[in-house]
Amino acid sequence: MRLLLKLKMFPGTAVAAAAAGLLCGCVFLIPMRAVLAARAGQSASAAAPAVSAGAAVYDRDCSICHGKNREGIPSVIPPLTGLAHHMTDNQIAQLIHDGNKTMPPVPTVTKDELPALLAFLHTEPAAPAASEVPVTLDARRGLELSPEAAAGGALFQQNCAFCHGRDAMGGETGPDLTRSKLVLGDKDGSQIAKMVRQGKTDGNKKMPAFNFSAPEIAGLVAFIHARIEAANSMKGGRRGVDVSDLQTGNVELGKKYFNGAGGCAKCHSPTGDLAGIASRLEGLQLEERMLYPENAKSTVTVTLPSGKKISGTLAYRDEFTIGLKDSHGVYRSWTTDSVKYTIDSPVEAHVELFSRYTDDDIHNLMAYIQTLH
Amino acid sequence: MQSAQIIWRNRRTMKLIRNTFVLAAGLIVMGVTGPHAAAAQDLEPAQLLHPSKDSWPTYHGDYSGRRHSSLTQIRPDNVQNLGLAWAFQTNQPADIKSSPLLVDGILYFTVPDNIWAVDARSGHEIWHFNHPTTEGEHIGHRGVAMYKGWLFFTTPDAHLISLNAKDGTVRWDKTIADVKKGYWSTMAPLVVRNHVIVGVGGDLDNLPGLLRSFDPDTGETQWQWFATPPAGTPHTTTGGMTWITGTYDPELNLIYWGTGNPTPVLNGDARPGDNEWTCSIVAINPDTGKLAWGFSASPHDTHDWDAVEVPVLVDGTFHGQPKKMLMQASRNGYFFVLDRTNGKSLLTAPYGPTNWASGIDKQGRPIPNPDKEPKPDGRFIAPDEGGLTNYRSPSFDPRTGLFIVDSHPSYSLYFTKPADGDYGWAGADYGLWGKGVLVAIDYQTGKIRWSHELGPGGSGAGVLTTDSGLTFSGDGEGNIIAFDTSNGKTLWHAGTGAGMQTSPITYELDGRQYVVSGSGGVLFAWVLPRSYAAHSSTTSTNAH
Repeated sequence: MRLLLKLKMFPGTAVAAAAAGLLCGCVFLIPMRAVLAARAGQSASAAAPAVSAGAAVYDRDCSICHGKNREGIPSVIPPLTGLAHHMTDNQIAQLIHDGNKTMPPVPTVTKDELPALLAFLHTEPAAPAASEVPVTLDARRGLELSPEAAAGGALFQQNCAFCHGRDAMGGETGPDLTRSKLVLGDKDGSQIAKMVRQGKTDGNKKMPAFNFSAPEIAGLVAFIHARIEAANSMKGGRRGVDVSDLQTGNVELGKKYFNGAGGCAKCHSPTGDLAGIASRLEGLQLEERMLYPENAKSTVTVTLPSGKKISGTLAYRDEFTIGLKDSHGVYRSWTTDSVKYTIDSPVEAHVELFSRYTDDDIHNLMAYIQTLH
Repeated sequence: MQSAQIIWRNRRTMKLIRNTFVLAAGLIVMGVTGPHAAAAQDLEPAQLLHPSKDSWPTYHGDYSGRRHSSLTQIRPDNVQNLGLAWAFQTNQPADIKSSPLLVDGILYFTVPDNIWAVDARSGHEIWHFNHPTTEGEHIGHRGVAMYKGWLFFTTPDAHLISLNAKDGTVRWDKTIADVKKGYWSTMAPLVVRNHVIVGVGGDLDNLPGLLRSFDPDTGETQWQWFATPPAGTPHTTTGGMTWITGTYDPELNLIYWGTGNPTPVLNGDARPGDNEWTCSIVAINPDTGKLAWGFSASPHDTHDWDAVEVPVLVDGTFHGQPKKMLMQASRNGYFFVLDRTNGKSLLTAPYGPTNWASGIDKQGRPIPNPDKEPKPDGRFIAPDEGGLTNYRSPSFDPRTGLFIVDSHPSYSLYFTKPADGDYGWAGADYGLWGKGVLVAIDYQTGKIRWSHELGPGGSGAGVLTTDSGLTFSGDGEGNIIAFDTSNGKTLWHAGTGAGMQTSPITYELDGRQYVVSGSGGVLFAWVLPRSYAAHSSTTSTNAH
């Protein structure tokens, strides 16, 4: 009877959950099967008010951690508001039963109570969770944020602001997120979520991984998108690096440097590899790429004790291990004391220029590169 | 989600946490694990003057900041046999950046909002204090300090908490500075006699940096010292955060502290002049908080190069004269040797690529080139904003006279324009390239005696040296490496699975020398096999 109400409210979710249950019911644990069986059997029965019963279960077993209004504790306990946007009923039920590495199983929720609890979790709290969020600097500075973005903002201030700035427009070490190619190209938040969860461990620009819940990441994404809107509304007085800021060089001098002192023409050609580069990249991204292309590939040739040579793309290198991906995409590695190897890394020519550049050289070269449409 | 796990241990505990909210959290959690508390944790302040070999009682190990140990069981000729004694999993994502204390067989170390007390022999947890805070920067944490049986712990919301070392229960909780204004704290306090001296972070806002001395028993403030005039004072700077533990000379009764960058950070126009005492090394009386002298390592900094790196105290000869010296490898790329009795310069020399200074002035300070201040069209700057080194400790090896530091040759672009304003960051900078190189500096000349490449990107690991001629540090890929201090050659390594964000420590327990390092969320203790330990003890006895 409870299930009919559920199906009316969230038909897609419940049907999908039931279908998933049929497909892989064998892996579900007993309470989950019981829930699905109950659904199948009772779906035609009359409705009953499950939500208040679910609220009672929530108060008894969940509120001690997730809070009276499902607000959680920022960065410690995830809020449960909007949970249905991020998890299926199956996933929620399984989490309650099994727990995960940060949440214990909650065996006190019985199989009979579970549907009511799920129904309750599909409702929104009477008092908005955002009211529990501490007043942030954004609020003090008059930026209006949705409850989700405000919750994300609080998390952002604790965990992201040091590097990316309080306003997400860049700070110590971290780039301006309101101009980030990854952020601007990320309509559904999935790229931001991936970066937050996985971090970036290679190269010069590192970022730690964060173990945030889906609702927390959704809040961060909402906050970052709000900051993009705020930044874009700062017309004229726009902070950060604009394309127009990078137009102080001289094209002819840049071309001369490219072909002469810079030695760029030894590897690059305006009609070859660089043809159309200024149509693909602009502004700071183009200048950064010009000075040091971050993900340039190196090749390595390893000579085994037998004399056999194996070449491939350099995949790993430290003092003790050399790794490559061969032409079949297979990763292979050796200890450096057991083989000889040579690395061909054309990008190193960029590093050699660093100690020779003047700022004028860079601005002139940038002026020239920007003509390569 | 850094700290959910401990909270989940006990659901009744969680209910209480919810009811009393976060302040009491650690106290209650500790109640659960209390019965495991060890018998005797006590550290008299006088012990800090001459730390015993079975202790590491302060952030730096001793007051000098040399991060050098007299232990010799692990040597160049046996370090190849070093192996794991134990690893301790914090089971949360924050990197360990702290330096553990070791007192009476127990290690105390931290990440933001968390302290662990761990048995130094076995690596098992004795207690865990968790104190979730919802405000302030959770960027890192450097560790705790100890006075008698009490620990002192700074929080992201700029509080100082005193706890019972036996069980982690809270004794008192005091405010260091106002988190609402933008202060936070990550640093390990410095205990000098009956002073607990604490610093702050806070350069996202225009705020003066400060040191505050607390009474270790009552928590009352004894004195405060401000690095700059109050915010809003015309034509002056703010900034000068104090986020790395200083050092102390008991004879001169002075503490030495590095201060951070001025604010606004990248826009120097709003704050003309040298911006004292930001990016400086200062000497302060620990009883009164009065400044004895200051040395500006980066006058009028516009590149975020905090001069908070450890002010290392060395007594020795300089060009034939006995001197009480202070050495710092600063974030701005220069190595400084000062006479620490008066702050006068003995030597200033770059220890890697720098391109922002037009020379060195008569006082030994780099002269900032105005054309290398950030500009609307960008300036190409070495080193990058992370600096030629950062906060992890260097080490001074007295036997070779080498100052060994993890360096980060790097290049970057710095921008600022009027629209960026004059508050907080006030500009933008972008790192382009960098790598890690361990360098050994001859303090008499500033010349690099040897260098050892640590890989692309950089390492960031701290450095430890020992009297047996070993140097411990890490590379950019997460290897902990033992080097021969005399020439920088690799003698031993182990992969740890994550970059080493800590400065290693060492101690001897039950006749075995341990080296402790942290990578990611894991603390590692390294030892020789027992047979080697027994052998070296015998050798050592015979030698006497």
